Amino acid sequence: MNQATIGYRVFQAFLVAFLVGLGTFIMVRVLPGDLAYRIAAGRYGYDLVDSVAAEAVRLELGLDGSPILAFLSWFWDLIRFDLGYSLVTGELVRDAIFHELGHSVDLAATALILSLFIGPPLGLLAGFRPGSIIDRLVLASSVVFRSIPHFAIGLVLIMIFSIQAGLLPVAGHGHPLSRVLPALTLALGLAAVSSRIARDAMIKVRESDYYLFGRTKGLSESQVFFRHGLRNVSVPIITYLGMQFVYLIEGVVVVETLFAWPGIGHSLVHAIVARDIPMIQGTAFVMGLMFVFLNALVDFLNRLVDPRERVV
Amino acid sequence: MKKQGTGNSKAVSVYRTRMIGSGLLFFLIAFGMVGPFLVSGDPGRQNLSAILSTPGKEYLLGTDHLGRDMLLRLTAAIRVSVAIALITTATASLIGVSLGILAATRGGLAERCTSLLADTFLALPGLLLVLLLVAIAPGSFWPLYLGIAMILWVEQFRMTRALVQPLATSPAVQATRLLGFGPWYVFRRHFWPELQANVLTLSAFGAATAILSVAALGFISVGIRPPTPELGQMMIELLPYYQEAPLIFLQPILILFLLVLSLNLIAGGKIR
Amino acid sequence: MSKILGAFMVVLVLLLPFSAFAAPPMIQIVAPWEISSKDPSRAGFVYGRLEVAETLVNVDLNGSHIPGLAASWDTSDDGRIWRFTIRPDVRFHDGTLMTTETVVNSLLIARQKPGVLNRAPVESIEADNEAIVLTLSEPFSPILSFLTHYSTMILAPAAYDESGNVVEVIGTGPYRITLLQPPQKMEVAVFTEYWGPQPKIERAGYLAAGRGETRALLAESGEAHVVFTIDPASVQRLARRDHLEIRTVPLPRIVSLKLNCAHPGLEDVRVRQALSLAIDRAGIAQAILRQPDLVANQYFPPSMQAWHLSDSAPLRYDTEQARHLLQEAGWHVNDAGKLERDGQLLQVEIVTYPDRPELPLIAAAVQDQWRSVGVEATIAISNSSVIPARHQDNSLEIGLISRLLALVPDPLGILVQDFAPGGGDWGAMNWNSDQLSAILAKLIVSGENDTAEELNRQVSEILHEEMPIIPISWYQQTVAVSRQVTNVIIDPFERVYNISAMEWNEQ
Repeated sequence: MNQATIGYRVFQAFLVAFLVGLGTFIMVRVLPGDLAYRIAAGRYGYDLVDSVAAEAVRLELGLDGSPILAFLSWFWDLIRFDLGYSLVTGELVRDAIFHELGHSVDLAATALILSLFIGPPLGLLAGFRPGSIIDRLVLASSVVFRSIPHFAIGLVLIMIFSIQAGLLPVAGHGHPLSRVLPALTLALGLAAVSSRIARDAMIKVRESDYYLFGRTKGLSESQVFFRHGLRNVSVPIITYLGMQFVYLIEGVVVVETLFAWPGIGHSLVHAIVARDIPMIQGTAFVMGLMFVFLNALVDFLNRLVDPRERVV
Repeated sequence: MKKQGTGNSKAVSVYRTRMIGSGLLFFLIAFGMVGPFLVSGDPGRQNLSAILSTPGKEYLLGTDHLGRDMLLRLTAAIRVSVAIALITTATASLIGVSLGILAATRGGLAERCTSLLADTFLALPGLLLVLLLVAIAPGSFWPLYLGIAMILWVEQFRMTRALVQPLATSPAVQATRLLGFGPWYVFRRHFWPELQANVLTLSAFGAATAILSVAALGFISVGIRPPTPELGQMMIELLPYYQEAPLIFLQPILILFLLVLSLNLIAGGKIR
Repeated sequence: MSKILGAFMVVLVLLLPFSAFAAPPMIQIVAPWEISSKDPSRAGFVYGRLEVAETLVNVDLNGSHIPGLAASWDTSDDGRIWRFTIRPDVRFHDGTLMTTETVVNSLLIARQKPGVLNRAPVESIEADNEAIVLTLSEPFSPILSFLTHYSTMILAPAAYDESGNVVEVIGTGPYRITLLQPPQKMEVAVFTEYWGPQPKIERAGYLAAGRGETRALLAESGEAHVVFTIDPASVQRLARRDHLEIRTVPLPRIVSLKLNCAHPGLEDVRVRQALSLAIDRAGIAQAILRQPDLVANQYFPPSMQAWHLSDSAPLRYDTEQARHLLQEAGWHVNDAGKLERDGQLLQVEIVTYPDRPELPLIAAAVQDQWRSVGVEATIAISNSSVIPARHQDNSLEIGLISRLLALVPDPLGILVQDFAPGGGDWGAMNWNSDQLSAILAKLIVSGENDTAEELNRQVSEILHEEMPIIPISWYQQTVAVSRQVTNVIIDPFERVYNISAMEWNEQ
């Protein structure tokens, strides 16, 4: 990785931070609904939110202050890596994100690993014989898992593995096996797409000159595959999964809620509903940074697998 | 660009896959269009004394949790969902492909800027984007379209840029340019044939993503104003009854499956 | 490739021993409510329910006040000065002794925060020997009830930082916190120096699971022992399971329509009555809540004996009568089947919120039922804060709300807020009844005495006739209890889970 790339990434990180701040700033100003009431509902619940509670929140947080000042002070705190306190819980945003991001990364990584064992192997198998029965079966199951919502997959998995077989916990966290079902739910969705990508990449690789040459010079199918195929097939899969990792971390609200898993998506939704600005800003900021980091990681891995120079 | 000659039987099979896909899609859309003429009634009319009834004589496909006719609701939902899916994926493809081509052919500053834009959109939590837009105008359709399209375009952009980049400098394109053909011709003649299959595949999955996003948003109680029938929204509304009335719960999921399958067959049939 | 596969197999083998997971050694409670904070004013309910922290006054199952951290109390003749004698030898979880000063400290902090104490006319709270003295600026009978609320729970001085924020939940209850992972998880263990009898159950866990499906499955699999708020669709299925028992308890809560009585369509009492007549309450109770008894035929549910009218004419479902009343009020049905008066359509917007999953469903049902008499309603599903916010800026038309009538066992405190002249955030809107105001003022001063019963009746009757709020259905708490546990007592006021009274079933 050269200096220009690193410089670009750092610039990107700052831009993301700025946009997150700007986005939440605009949100505060543009969104309908009184901020103090929203925060009061998030704090005290629907049985206790009323104008008295909202007024107390307004006074405590100084919500009537200048928005531009608020924006500048957030940015100043950010530069010093101070994410502030949640308006709803009163806890440090840093601690909350640390707890939730940890669980999210845990879940996402497990899902990613599980999906690696399901998607690409099936995709490669299909790619070896395009048009065959296997290819069609893989296509069909890929479409099935792509069009069934996560909550339905999750429920079916719970009913099979927890209720019927009694092997895995239904929901919750803390038990080492708690992560298996939510991760598997996500993994099946991921595998649905990564199997397609692996299949298409495999077909392309098999049609390439070097692969054909490998075959002509007398190597067996598996020899050519492991010598020449695998590396080339890996690049698009790594790229795809790198992107998906981010989606996984933020986009698993449904799975987190269903399995009572304390992830970042779940907390982001709560923060947005309650207009918990420091929490939204902090979460979005950390996730933006993570994306930038992952992007760099994907580049690095791709270079490792395929050292040829190319335009990023 | 094809490396292998396509045999006769293979071409027939591609053609057949495509026909099956198109037929399926046509059937689904026709079901959505013709439904209201086959069974008269109002998809919002409730019958609280006949909730979750199984498919039968009175209600061909049964009723939902408020005793509404599933047949009427599904046909109405197909129209709404297909529209949402089409508009969002079309918007996303249009933005993604044009910016992708811009980045690939112009290079330099144009590429830097568009790439940065794409990366920023990827880095910003998509959920945040959609929820913010939805919060600006709760209950209406456009924030949903826009929010989902803003997530989907990035994929199209990255794919287009990657595919067009080597093409843009190829002798064939250079020659066409030298002959004085405009950018539209270059796009039609050189870029689109390469992109077509991938754009369609991504769109097929994008359509599913769009509808499933509506379902996911419904899961966190954000989304379309009731009682408008929409496939994703119906899935989430019927979720509590998944064990009590699995036949009803599965209906919108089955429709979505058929929709995604048909789009995939159409798109997939064109690849190689 | 084969290396990775090998590693995967090793991981699988390592995980296998865990798969034979037995029942957890602790009582597992599952409920929909998330632990949002350490602050009692925000999430005190969870610390109260798990018996981590306690209040001065407690409530028995009938709603009568019984001693809590206060051993006894008395009041001056004018009802302004309350003396609470503090229970001696009570220790906090950090070992410190509870004194009158620590109690006063907690109450003063609670009073500064939104909750119940800031709504009472409290003049001062002071320590005086073994007692604390609470002085009111005017007589306020619900004060005793207010002191049972979780926002007034007593925490150790070390629980607060210098600005009154709670940094650690250090209570006096029979259980102390061993693990706190907001927003979903908490674990407690027995506190051996508890002032009362030692509980039999040594450890308990709390898990917040937002979806009804998850909770039902947790009960079904046996992972959870007591699961609160079972969704109507799962009740029958769970009742068939041998290892579970389904228990229901009526709650002092009501689903109702809050009407803006200044809205041009809704100011006429006949229109309000017509809207009420056009609602099929039995259908809603049967189809959505799956419990026919929950039909609200008046404002107060039967469990609130002091307020429920046993002999009133119940609210009916009669679309003919509804049409007739609307016609009388000048609304006639136009060619499109919609109600019209002087070229204006009868259009209303129903605002509701998804925190309680049945609310959007009931909104959809009401919308369709009103459509059949020609009322055009749109539904806006928003945040619960929108109801008080739009009450204040007067833009609310109709709110479909779920109101806890007894936040504290005595509903008077809530009624005074909800039916104040001009209305209240969660009560009437732009509606006045001098008679009602007068009765409530009398009740606030006198409290529980002989005339109270008659006055309560009058309140219920006025609400029944004038219909500033249209009742739709009452509530019940549905709990799935595992047969592994015995002596489970469900509190109708949802103050405690009574884990300290539970026992493991020996059979």
